[in-house]
Amino acid sequence: MSLTNYLVLAAILFTVGAVGVLVRRNAIVVFMCIELMLNSVNLTLVTFARSTGTLDGQVIAFFVMVVAAAEVVVGLAIIMSIYRTRRSASVDDANLLKY
Amino acid sequence: MIEAPDLSLSALSPFLFVFGAALVGVLVESFAPRHVRQPTQVALALVGTVGGFACTLLLAGRGEVTAAGALAVDGAGLFLQATIAGLGALSVLLFAERALDPARSAFVASAAVPAGSPRDRELLTDERVQTEVYPLATFAVGGMMLFVAANDLLVMFIALEVLSLPLYLICGLSRRRRLLSQEAAVKYFLLGAFASAFFLYGLALVYGATGTVQLAGIRQSVTDDGTGTLLVLGLGLLVVGLMFKASVAPFHTWTPDVYQGAPTPVTAFMAACTKVAAFGAILRLLYVAFGTADWTWRPLVYGIAIVSMVVGAVLGLTQTDVKRMLAYSSIAHAGFLLTGVIGLDAGTGSGLAATLFYLLAYGLTTVGAFAVVTLVRDGDGEATALAQWAGLARRSPLTAAIMTFLLLALAGIPLTSGFTGKFAVFRAAIEVGAWPLAVVALVTSAVAGFFYLRLVVLMYFSEPAEDGPSVGVPGLPTTIVLAVTVAATLVLGVVPGSVLDLADGAARLVG
Amino acid sequence: MGGIEIGTAETVVFWVLGPIALAGALGMVLARNAVHSALFLVNTMLALGVFYVVQEAPFLGAVQIIVYTGAIMILFLFVLMLVGRDSSDSVVETLRGQRVAATVLGIGFAGLVGAGIARATEGMVVTGLEGVQGGEGGAADGNIEAIAGLLFTRYLLAFEVTSALLITAAVGAMVLAHIEREPGSRLTQKERSRARFLTSDHPQTLPGPGVYARANSIAAPGRLPDGSPAEASYATGVEPQVVEELPPGDPAGDGRDPGAGRGHGPDAALGTTRGVTR
Repeated sequence: MSLTNYLVLAAILFTVGAVGVLVRRNAIVVFMCIELMLNSVNLTLVTFARSTGTLDGQVIAFFVMVVAAAEVVVGLAIIMSIYRTRRSASVDDANLLKY
Repeated sequence: MIEAPDLSLSALSPFLFVFGAALVGVLVESFAPRHVRQPTQVALALVGTVGGFACTLLLAGRGEVTAAGALAVDGAGLFLQATIAGLGALSVLLFAERALDPARSAFVASAAVPAGSPRDRELLTDERVQTEVYPLATFAVGGMMLFVAANDLLVMFIALEVLSLPLYLICGLSRRRRLLSQEAAVKYFLLGAFASAFFLYGLALVYGATGTVQLAGIRQSVTDDGTGTLLVLGLGLLVVGLMFKASVAPFHTWTPDVYQGAPTPVTAFMAACTKVAAFGAILRLLYVAFGTADWTWRPLVYGIAIVSMVVGAVLGLTQTDVKRMLAYSSIAHAGFLLTGVIGLDAGTGSGLAATLFYLLAYGLTTVGAFAVVTLVRDGDGEATALAQWAGLARRSPLTAAIMTFLLLALAGIPLTSGFTGKFAVFRAAIEVGAWPLAVVALVTSAVAGFFYLRLVVLMYFSEPAEDGPSVGVPGLPTTIVLAVTVAATLVLGVVPGSVLDLADGAARLVG
Repeated sequence: MGGIEIGTAETVVFWVLGPIALAGALGMVLARNAVHSALFLVNTMLALGVFYVVQEAPFLGAVQIIVYTGAIMILFLFVLMLVGRDSSDSVVETLRGQRVAATVLGIGFAGLVGAGIARATEGMVVTGLEGVQGGEGGAADGNIEAIAGLLFTRYLLAFEVTSALLITAAVGAMVLAHIEREPGSRLTQKERSRARFLTSDHPQTLPGPGVYARANSIAAPGRLPDGSPAEASYATGVEPQVVEELPPGDPAGDGRDPGAGRGHGPDAALGTTRGVTR
């Protein structure tokens, strides 16, 4: 057991998130996959902070959480607005939530 | 006890101006009555961007690192900041145009009302506007200015988010074709967040390899300890994240859809300012942090440049919509810009100067081209289908002439700024021996020139359709934008000497 | 400088929680139902929170659980509930072969990055954070103080700029969610009551599904005592549609409710159908 275990776990979680972004179609689930990617980055940062003996990694992980919080607010607001539109019997034939 | 770090307020003054204007804008939004909001917000946004522009000019010639090593104040950074602030001010003028749309704005009256609902149809002709776009755009300008001056990867990441979040929001605020606009916002948001996750993972790996995120520290570590697997992987992921923002192929998939769906003034803003900001960050990352180990990124950038030029030029040929065509043109131009990035020469730095000049020239021309797109309208808003532009020269010779001139500049015809810019970046690439890249760039510019010329031919030599679009009479803001961009495109093409010298003098990075 | 050793306890924690975190991640991607996905993700995040605590980052561990799991994921669940819980994914691929391609790409990426990281960090010396955040003879007083020290010195600019991000998020949420109404464009409670009493012949509340209901869907009408639908109880704003209802009593018309006769079924249990009251 060494710190490499954490790093490899983080790499796998990151990949699972990335693949999820590519294969899922529901915008909210895609967004959750992105959150998983950010979380795995945080695990990498915390592990590297321990290995290099500097606290910068932890501070950066803290910033990542703040940014993620702001991003979630904006993202969910955008997704909500499009869902609301779709329910109100729109006439536009846009190919929603598929990209 | 925590010792406060040394902050140079004068070095921070451009940011204080821009962010200050945005914050006052938010307060105006909450306290001012509705009828005064639009003029106040426009004035505030202009004060912020023009003030930021003036502050960067006053700072010219400085070269220092401040805010505990987080912010670099140097020639290249200030040049790009001034470019962003100036282009931002022009975009704000486009946002403020009231004369073209019968409903007096390109922005939605109330974004929270579901599109297509009875209330939405009621508000379609209302003169109300969601004036929050101005503070949001100002925030984005501030984020972009910070992005090109960030001297550590964390500040770069935060600046990336500060510039992206407002853009995600204002993309979805179009007054017409709201569903398309909202879809563009969702798409841009999801892919943008995806790309910033890659950027972050790269940041984490670089941190793990070097124990620091400051660009100077990374450079030190690269020079002392060499580059390991971790560092190269991290660099690759960082570049992927940045290339996404710069809409370089193969990370361009969002570009055409978002450019098409967003309100055209926002498209102009994104196409010009985001490109400048993203390339500023790419230059700083590659030159400052990895400048001494250029073998790590040169092959990668080389390949991406070729892919981007080919994809932009070839797919641009197949487009039937003006905004999408300009989007593919922006992808091709990103490739041309990367040929300048390749041209980093440790001694002369002509690649840096060439890229700076190209960014300025391209930004101005693009804002102008999108401004022309806002003029051509039919009953349903802007008429962006290529077929609708047939015979435009008969309806409005002046508009067609301006568009032709700007398209020729994008194609890189002599006596326009596009030619000077392309010449500079190709020369920089050849200087470092990357002549195969320059050959590819020449061929793809010829291909790209074809689709610009196709639109010119369509405007001049086709019969106008019976129910074709009309050309709106622009109000003062759009007129100013068109005058400035056309004049600049001409001046930078005919007598580029002084600006080239300026870029040469500015081509210095501290770190 | 020998670095620190990783103890047995930590090894055990890793091998217990690592698979759980991975299972959560895979579950999130594979679950059809979006709410299940969210709960799987919560599971992964909690496991990561424990990893942070184990790795000398108690503050981040707490923030992870309180902010990430407690606030952000709850926001996700909230939005999922708001837009409709049953927004499960379609299994139709819009691009053929895209799923396979993405998986192959993912395995390739994981192999490249994972192997690269594993090779690069093999035999890496673990410095540990004792020197910067306390413990025996440490430089600072502890994790939180040390983080604060960095936050307000080296990362001060980033910290300040984050405020722009948070303001943008707040303004954005307001723009997209808050419908501004002109003052006076909305009737007051008093005006509404007055209008109802003056114009309508039905001043009281409309009937709900009531005790005769056979379905708990809002799309199903309430029932009158004879089993016929109560016209006034149709919900406004919901399109009438056929919903699954319990079988009505007395289909044969012989005056006996078969449900009551068999001695089971909800009608019998409630004792409210004709067959029983008669």
